[in-house]
Amino acid sequence: MYYQEKKTIATLIAGVMLLAAYCIYVFQKYQSGVIDMANDLKFWASTMLIFMGAGIVITIIILIVFHIINAIMTEVSKGEQEDPLVEDEMDKLIQLKATRNSYIVVGVGFVFSLVSLVMQMPLAIMINTIFLSFLLGSIFEGFSQLFYYRSGIKNG
Amino acid sequence: MKVFHNYSITEAGSKMAKLEISNKIRKLRFDNDEMTQQELAKKAGITRQTIVAIEKGKYSPSLELAFRLANVFAKPLEEVFSYQIKEDKKQEKEK
Repeated sequence: MYYQEKKTIATLIAGVMLLAAYCIYVFQKYQSGVIDMANDLKFWASTMLIFMGAGIVITIIILIVFHIINAIMTEVSKGEQEDPLVEDEMDKLIQLKATRNSYIVVGVGFVFSLVSLVMQMPLAIMINTIFLSFLLGSIFEGFSQLFYYRSGIKNG
Repeated sequence: MKVFHNYSITEAGSKMAKLEISNKIRKLRFDNDEMTQQELAKKAGITRQTIVAIEKGKYSPSLELAFRLANVFAKPLEEVFSYQIKEDKKQEKEK
């Protein structure tokens, strides 16, 4: 497995961890029944802001750990380290296509959030749909990258 | 002339015609003192992963990269990359 694929997996792990942590946290709050979850927008906004910040921190930590482990492993196994800083045209093209795919997921999520408003669902549904579509979009971006690295990508 | 890997992409401007691009990078590496993929990648300024993808026919390089690769082997572009226009099966059936 190559450096870019491993890096993508590390980022994916961070994304999945964040999604799981958010779902578990919200589910616990829902079960406790302390807050009016359907209408308390302040609760949702603060929760999402905290998770966005935590997501950035988790991703940075995971990438640092990944770089350390990767450097040790490649040094031990090969004796010659591939320059990880090189990002060539194929990497950029794959990144571009993966980002496009993630925008599609976010776009669909946004449409669903509008539909939820039209159907007179609580605002919490709308705000959660948008937040989750961003999270799923970033996970989908990672999977897209892995897919393109494995299956190949054609110019034009 | 031995072709190592073939793949096809849709040719811009034509409906069904396929452009089959092949390359001889693997053979040229072998002829150049068995140059490793890593060495070639370093000389061309790309990653080894991209060299692997090009050799396997999983990635069609840009014109600039194609020239850079040809330059590493000191060969003209057409000696490293070649193409063949192939008609799609559907079009052949129509005829």
